[in-house]
Formats: sequence, structure tokens, C-alpha cells
Amino acid sequence: MPLPVAYHRPDTVEQALSLLSHPNRIPLGGGTVLNADREPSELEVVDLQALSLAGIETDGVRLRIGAATTLEAAATSDRVPAWLRSIARAEAPSTLRTLATIGGVIAGGCGNSVLLAALLVSDAEVELAGAPDQPLEALLAHGVPPGSIITAVTIDPKGEGVVARTGRTPTDVPIVAAVARTLPEDPSGRNPGTSMALTGMADTPVLVDPGKPTAGLAPKGDFRGSAAYRLKLAAVLSTRAIKALL
Amino acid sequence: MNVTFELNGRSVTTQVNPSDNLRDVLRRLGMLSVKYGSSSGETGAAAVLFDGRLASADVILAASADGHRVVTVEALNTERQLHPIQLAFTAVGAFQSGYSAGAMILGTMALLEANPDPSDAEIRDMLSGILDRETAYVKPVEAVRRAAAMLRGRQPEAFGPLIIEPLTDGVHACEYDPDDEPPNAPHAVPRLIPSRDVPEMAVVGKPEIKVDAVRLAKGNPAFTDDIDLRGMLHAKLLTSPHAHARIVNIDDTKAVALPGVHAVLHHRNVARVKYASGGQSWPNPHPYDQVSFDDKVRHVGDRVAVVAAETIEIAEQAVSLIDVTYEVLSAVFDERLATGPDAPKIHDETDTEGIFDADRNIVHQIQAQRGDVDAGLAGAQHVFEQTFRVHQVQQCPIEPHISIAWLDSDERMVIRTATQVPFHTRRMVAPLLGMDIKDIRVVKPRIGGGFGAKQEMLIEDIVGHLAIATRRPVRLELTRTEEFVSSRTRHPQTITFRTGVDHDFKLVAQDMHVIGNTGPYGTHGQTVQTVTGLRGLSQYVSPNKRFFCDVVYTNIPVPGAYRGYGAPQAEFALEAHLTDVARELGIDEIEFKRNNWVRAGSEMDIAPHLGERGVVEDELDEYPKIASEGIEECVAQAMREIRWHRRDDPDWVSPPHRPHIRRGIGFAFCMHGTAIPFLDMGGCSIKLNDDGSFNMLVGATDLGTGADTVLGQIAAEVLGVPLDDIKVYSSDTDLTPFDTGAYASSTTYISGTAAMRAAENVRKRLKERAAMLLGIDEPCTIELRDRRAYAPDGRSVSHNEIALDSLHMQDQEQIMGTSSFVSPECPPPFAAQMAEIEVDIETGQVTVVKLVMAVDCGVAINPITASGQVEGGMLQALGYAHCEEYAYDKQGKMLNASFGPYKIYRADEVPEMVVYLVQTMEDSGPFGAKAVAEIPKDGVAPAVRNAILNATGVAINDIPFTPERVWTALRSHDPDRC
Repeated sequence: MPLPVAYHRPDTVEQALSLLSHPNRIPLGGGTVLNADREPSELEVVDLQALSLAGIETDGVRLRIGAATTLEAAATSDRVPAWLRSIARAEAPSTLRTLATIGGVIAGGCGNSVLLAALLVSDAEVELAGAPDQPLEALLAHGVPPGSIITAVTIDPKGEGVVARTGRTPTDVPIVAAVARTLPEDPSGRNPGTSMALTGMADTPVLVDPGKPTAGLAPKGDFRGSAAYRLKLAAVLSTRAIKALL
Repeated sequence: MNVTFELNGRSVTTQVNPSDNLRDVLRRLGMLSVKYGSSSGETGAAAVLFDGRLASADVILAASADGHRVVTVEALNTERQLHPIQLAFTAVGAFQSGYSAGAMILGTMALLEANPDPSDAEIRDMLSGILDRETAYVKPVEAVRRAAAMLRGRQPEAFGPLIIEPLTDGVHACEYDPDDEPPNAPHAVPRLIPSRDVPEMAVVGKPEIKVDAVRLAKGNPAFTDDIDLRGMLHAKLLTSPHAHARIVNIDDTKAVALPGVHAVLHHRNVARVKYASGGQSWPNPHPYDQVSFDDKVRHVGDRVAVVAAETIEIAEQAVSLIDVTYEVLSAVFDERLATGPDAPKIHDETDTEGIFDADRNIVHQIQAQRGDVDAGLAGAQHVFEQTFRVHQVQQCPIEPHISIAWLDSDERMVIRTATQVPFHTRRMVAPLLGMDIKDIRVVKPRIGGGFGAKQEMLIEDIVGHLAIATRRPVRLELTRTEEFVSSRTRHPQTITFRTGVDHDFKLVAQDMHVIGNTGPYGTHGQTVQTVTGLRGLSQYVSPNKRFFCDVVYTNIPVPGAYRGYGAPQAEFALEAHLTDVARELGIDEIEFKRNNWVRAGSEMDIAPHLGERGVVEDELDEYPKIASEGIEECVAQAMREIRWHRRDDPDWVSPPHRPHIRRGIGFAFCMHGTAIPFLDMGGCSIKLNDDGSFNMLVGATDLGTGADTVLGQIAAEVLGVPLDDIKVYSSDTDLTPFDTGAYASSTTYISGTAAMRAAENVRKRLKERAAMLLGIDEPCTIELRDRRAYAPDGRSVSHNEIALDSLHMQDQEQIMGTSSFVSPECPPPFAAQMAEIEVDIETGQVTVVKLVMAVDCGVAINPITASGQVEGGMLQALGYAHCEEYAYDKQGKMLNASFGPYKIYRADEVPEMVVYLVQTMEDSGPFGAKAVAEIPKDGVAPAVRNAILNATGVAINDIPFTPERVWTALRSHDPDRC
């Protein structure tokens, strides 16, 4: 818990943006990261729960997942592709999944997040209030623009996705994971190809060229896996993910 | 600010601070089932239903709860009767400590409302957010199944063991039949193989529901933190950021001046009294190398100062205001480097006595020998040598260390604390506080797990000092991070075996060399390493045995007691080594081990030379012998259950459709001890009440193990009453008899025998009073059963009638009995441990598919609690083998001091587990019982290791088997494959 000295719960996005324009104020989503931090810091939290940002809807082309949608809701929604549902379920255990939000996962930008990798390969676009919408890849690279809040993410729900992962145990946060997604063949018989993202290889999950998955990557090692080992895993798991899609 | 939310169906408005979390606010509102496990929510101990969904209250701001619905398990407690979900959990023994009981029950409620007939995967997914260090989730899953059935209107059968036929004659091995299928039953059901030597009993051996089941299922206030004392202060530790440093200056001026601060203690204002913190019998093993606060710190997390303040927030702020100047010293972490010339001298103070060689950081040197090992090795046909490295892990009780101290109305010190050793703690804390033992009362409430971490006088001195300084009640609870770096851990070791084998595959010499890493303080260092030698050299017959061990100081967070107590380290090395020896010799590993393992009648020849009171060098005229063992039956049942023959089938080992997978099955033979002979002592007192029931006071400490229940069953069996007529109260140094505490697998055997003898004393007087009432001349002819005393002619009086007569009518007396017990014996339990695994040969990832343990623990007094001990122990042991480890930076700071980075298994990933209880009759134990609590820790690591060897042909001698370590080993063995 960052020991907030004040709590705000705005009713509208505009109010939220106004509150967040002051220094030392941070947006509060599900709280599983922010409220888990016990380092004393004098912050004011702006709780976004009243902004009606939860919900999953489709326009027939893109799937829109509200920023306040919990991982639990994403994991149980029939509108979400099955492969993505299982990734949302695996992202957090039961007691945190009901709190953690899609917006929080995106804002966190965790390099080990398989769900973020899955959103990346799903052509995710992040909707923002207070700033222009932008592709998830760009947002991960630069962070949430100051003075803005994430309101939703849209993805292309078509196609199949797979995950190949290596961890210490079956539900451990993977040391490296390769998430691949392909679209079904279009009527002309042309295969539009595969998109792939890796976790555990950089500060955030990264989109990679499936043909050269480790090109340009320079992962940092840690106690779970050295840099060299991560590169090896990336190659092996990328190959497996591609093979699984065939 | 005020928040209003619906709590258990009623609107509640309460004042909160913006920083308050929902867990703390709920506890302030009396919802004490909501527990602290960590601040980050991943333990699930504080999970509640938040708008109908299971959610960790740790990470919900109280302010965020405004307008929401919150349900805690207290919502179910509107009447005495348990809810069907609570009943289901108690019926199958799903609670051990019960610390997270509320979360599990609420999770079940939510799950079953949404899905009345969930699959096992769905149940495990629900439990995935509730970390349980005790049950391995086996019985909680079964509880949810049963609850679902009950709520669908079905009445499940009574839960109990599956009785199965023996495969052996109890002595000899039987031929393995690959076509013989193992029995089919839910995993939670223990398979029980009865012994003909064990008579039928009324209460002992039955799957009785735990005596504390109701209080745990309801989340009633039972734990240390579940009291509210007027004026209580909150303490916060300042700990060292350096692995080794001298405190040059400490300035507490700003902290003392902070409003709300009542005391700031450190080495300049607390008396320097030397002690050893390990909770052990008097006299505690030297050296006494600790003081409450020192002018030197020796590991990251070591104590520097403590603050007591009106709130924890003020205490935290005050800690940040203490200005400490350190002279940072060089540090050493690896036991193999600790004795070298470049290593710093960790204990350079002049007032610590009894360090073996302080200049070389050797705190103890332990040597023991039987026969002539050098001659044995010289004459052996084959000599094998291997070195193994075992690492540092943590006990991880979900309830961290917590103590509350205050001065009572007589100005005596009361310490309510989560401890396994209340009597040791009272004795050990007294000189530190400058008080007499008689002026201290230590109360052990329910404990949320201990596993050895609480076999220590760890923080009781701190709250005692603060209570004296402030004359206010003071509470100190370690955070999860502090629990990792400032409490206790398992000793890392480097172990080398040299083994001589004769032409007939008999062992002729065993030479075991250990470097044990005790961190910066001795505490349990000598005794843990002694047990390592004991366990490494006891279970196989060899005419020549030698143990040599340097126990060394380093600058890692302090190792101490951890369930298994040196045995898991030894057994990993021993069982791996002998498997490799068998492979080298070209014979089946079980046959090789069988050719050498001990049997009934074998001498336990090294044990007297490696006692807790030190090493005995002289040969004895007579050595203790093994009286009971069910080794062959354990091995036969385990082989059948794991389907041992598959390990020799190439198509099974290398499944054609999964080219990067190799499968393997591994075996480990295990032998443990039961209590420490001539040392462990337990006492018990039983008195008769008006209604024919009994109060039983025991010093034994139930950590969630079911000890209170087991001791109650023993007394009930003797007294001819149901368990419900025995009301057990344990571990209060003012009220209950002495007990050394909950460790060394001693409670059932030692305290159980004390309970049995106390009950026998009561029984004798009951019979005499019954004889008087019935006009019988020979009281010994009377039998007690079904709450009555029966004469040979069939006439009877009830216990109630005897009680009323003895208390109110004639020759009035309080019928009561007291007894204590110390054993000259240490009857070993035995076990066969099997592991089935898969190895991904391209990544090194190991997946454990199944664990089987067949245990000879004598007569399991309660087969449900006993099997629960085995399940939970196996999962802890799997963490040791597979995924748990301390990671440090170069300065000795722990990099993974939280759950997740420090990985313990959760419910949705545990392998299949099956437990067999092979009954034997141990005549020295109460109703034939031996120990069961620690042996499950011994065999998993070597079994997994040997399974990897079976799968890949690669022997790995370091644990844990994390992916990169395995991948590196595979690559070293066959560079082309990876």
C-alpha cells in the first residue's frame, strides 16, 4: 500500500482527468499492484471504479474490452476468444483475478505478462482519454501519456492463438513465453501470416518477427534465467508456437 | 473519511484513513477470520467475497469498498450448527492450522453458487489464490466436492481410509506384478494397510474430526492476533540493509521526538545479554552468539532497532527517522568459502564463548565414527565419491511470526505468541528481560503453521523489552518480506559421500563429509547438522561409518529449524548417491538398496554417537535396535501405485508423439526418527468433570498438525469415551504441564504416551470408584467403554454417575491424573517415496506428474490427520526439490522476498498425490504409534532427481531442479541435444 493521504472517486472521465492533472496523484484501477506496494509515499489516489469503464462488446470486427474489465470477467466472457480467455485466467490467481483489470495490466506493462503479449499479437489498440488512442506496442514503448487514462483496448478477435511457455512450475509466471496468433485463411486462400510476441525478453512484452524471433533482442538475466538461456528459450518456444498453429 | 458498505448483509458505516486496507478495517470491525498473510494479497488469507467474488482484502483500499457488498465467513455463523460447506471441510480434515479457512469456505460458496457441480480443475482454480502450506490442497479439493454433493442434496459416505490388502508378508519382498492395478479411490483417501498385530480400537485409528474443527471452520478468534488489548502499541523493526557491518553510530533523536512514539530500542539502551535463539532443551547448545540488539549486523535483515508507537504507520515513520551510520564490512555467503583466508571474521566480539574456531568461522566441528572407514574404503572392491549441494529455502508459514506482550495486573509479563516452543521461550526470554521465569507466562494460541520457523525464541524478547519500556501492551508482527529475511530458513549444505561396496554389493564403508551453512548465528546449527549425519548414515547397514562436519558462519539470513531438520539434505545426497552407485554397478537400484537397508533387528549404530547433547566417541556395549518396520510393504505398495515397470519401457520414457519430452520414475527410501531419546519430554494432566467428560491439559503444541486431536483420541481410548468428551487445552506455561514443544516428530509419541499414562491414572481411579458403586472387590476386572464402567457380570455405572458421586456424594475427591514421559527409544518410521516426472529436454523444464508415499508410521492414531501430514509434507518437499530458492544480489540482499518470485506451489498445479499408511505395531509407542510429521520431507527431492536420471540419463547433484539448471546439465551431458 503506498499509504495514500487522500482518496478521490470521480464520477466522470473528465473529473478523473482533472484530478489527475495535479502532481502526486495516481489512478487506481483494480489495486492489485498499486495497493500491494508498502513503500511509504505520500500519494493521492484517484479511484476509477465509478467511470463505467468495464464491459466487453463487439462491433462485429473488433472486440472492445473496457479498461476496468477484470481479468475474471475477461476469462469468463463468451465474447472473448477461448485462447485469450485461458490466458486471462492464467494471468493471476483467483483472489487477484477478480480485482485486477485489463487497464491495469496494460498500464503496468510488465515484461512477463503473457496477457499483454496476447493483446499485442491481437493487434491491440489502446483507447485513451486525455490523449490520442495508440497501438499497444507504442504505448508499451513510451508508457501511458501523462494526464491521460486508459479507457479501453480493442483487439482483432479472429484467428487462433497459442502459448508456448517455460516456467519453474505449471502456473509460474513464465521465464519466457511465446504467444503466436494467426488469422484463418481468407476466401482467396491467402494466409495472412502469423504474429508473435515474446515475454521475458525485455522490459515489456515485444512483438517479434516469427521468422527471426530473437533478432535484436538483448534480454536481461535474473535468478530465474540468464540472458543466454532466455535467448535459447525464445528460439525453442517460438518454433513450438508456430508449429502448434500449423 | 467515512465509508459505508454492506457487511454480511448489514449496512456498516465506519471511519477509515485513505491508506487503510479493507483487511485491517474488517478486522477492526470484528471479522477476525480475515487474516494477514502478506500485504500483496497473493496468500489469499484475507480473501473475502467482494460483490460476490473472491478477492484479497489486502489489496482493496477500505475507501474503495464504499458502496460494495462484503461477505466474510462470519456471515455463516449465526447459529452453533455448521454450514454444509463448513461441515464438508471438517469431515475430510481439510483444515490443518485453519489459518486460511475463511477464504477457502467463502471461495467454495461463491464457486458453488455459480456452478453446483464443479470439476476438479474448477475447484483447483478457485483455490489457486489461497496459498496453503499445509494440506497440499488434497483434502480441501475433496471438501469442495463433498460440499457440492451435499448442497445438491446428496449425502456423501463417511470419509475414512480405504482398507486394502497387504502385498507382502510384512517381512519379505514380493515379486512386482506389472499387471496388478493399484486401488481406485479419490486421492484424498488414504490407503491403509492394516497390521494383524494391531487390535481393533474404538477411537484410536479412527478418522475422528479434529477437536478444533468448529473454531477453525467458523473463523472464530483463536490465533495470536485475534485479541484486542486496550492501549496496545504497534512495533516496527529497523533491519540491516548490509550483509555485514558495524554500527558506528545510531541517532534516534528524530524518531523519539515523533508524536505517538513510545519507545525506540537498540544496542545503546538494551542490556547486552548473550543467548542462542534456537528453541531447545536446557542448556541450549553454545555458543550464545546473539544479543537482543548488537552493535554489529551480520546479514541483510538483521535487527538494528525497534520502535513502539500508537499506530503501525507512526512506527514505520519513526523507523525511517533513525539515523544509522554503518561501517560496511566484507561478507561471505557460500559455506565453501567461509573458512578461507579471504573470508571476513563474522564473530569478532570478545564475549561469545564456545565457537570452535572463530577466526575461520567454524562454529562447530562434529565428528562421529564406527569401525574403521579408511580401512573399509581401502579394502572395498568399488569406491564411489560424489558431492552434492543443497540450497536455502524457507518454511513459509502463512501466518508470519507475531507476538503480543503485556504486563498483567500482577505485573507479570504475558507473552501471547505464535511459537512451537512456549516453555523453552519462557525460560530463554527471562534472562534477556531481566525477569524470573516465574514472572513470565507464555501463551500459545492457535498457530497458522510453523514448520520449525517458530521453534525459536525469535521476537518474543523484543515485545518483552518494549512492554517493559512502555508499560503498555505491544504487538509485533513480521511482514512477509521480514519473514523471509529476518526469521529462519533451511541450512544450505555441501555434502560429499564416499562409499565402499563389496563384490556382493554390500556396503563396507560410508564416509560423509558436510559443510553446513548456519548463517551468522549458531542457533540450530549444531543439531541440524548432527541430524544430517544421523540420517545420512542410519538407514543402510555398513560396518564402517564416519561423519565429519564443519558448521560455518556466513552472512546469509539465518538458517534454523525446518521440518525435517537436516534430514532432507542428507536424504537427497544419500538416495541420489546410492542410485548412482547402483547404476554404476549395473544392478537395479531398489535391489541394491534392499541389499543394504536396515530391517527389524538392525542396530541403529550411529545414532548414539550423534545425539543432541553431543558426540559420544566410545563404542557402546549395546546399540538400540529397530523393533518395528514395514519397509517391504511400503516399497511394494509404492511400486504398484506408481506402476514402476514403465520406467523401463522406452516408448513410455520417450513418447513418440512428444519428441521433446522424456518421462521418468524415481524412488527414494526414507527413514526418520521419532523424538529425541532421553531428552524430549511431555506432560499431561486430565481431570474428570461432573458430566463424565474430561479436561485434558497438555504442554504439547498443536501447530495445525492435529496434535490436540490425536492426544485426545489416545485419552478417549483409554477412558472409554468418545473424543468429544475430551476437552483439550494446550500450551500455556501457567496452566499446562511442561512439554519440550512441537519438533523432532515427537508429539504423538512423547506427548501421546504422557496422555496415555495420565489417562491410565484416571482410569485406575475411575475403576476403583466404579467398583465401590457396584460392590465389586477387584476394580481391575472393570472395563471402561461407551462412557460407562462395566463389571464382569454386565452391570455398569456411567462416568457421569461416577463423577457426581466422587465430586458431590461420598468420600469426595477430584479424580485426576498427571503423567509425563521421556523415551529411551527413537523408533524410526520408514517410507518409500516415488515420483513420476516429465522433462522437456529442449528447455529443461521439469513437470512433476505424480508423487506417491507409502509410510510406516506405526499405528496412525488418526489416519486422516496422518495422511494430511504426508500430503502437506510432500508438497513442501516438492518445493524444495523443484522451485523454491533464495536468490541474492552480490551484496547479500534477497531478490525474491515475496511469494511469486519465491515460488511455492498453488492448488491448480500440484501433481497427483497418493498416500499409503502401512500399519506396524511399535510396542514402545502409544497404541503402536510412531512419528509421521517429518518423514514426508525426506524423499521427494531424491525421488525427483532419480526420476530425471531415469528420464534423461543425466544425474544432477544440485537442487532445485529449475529449468535453467536442468537445461545446463542436459547440455553438459549432450551438447547436441539442447
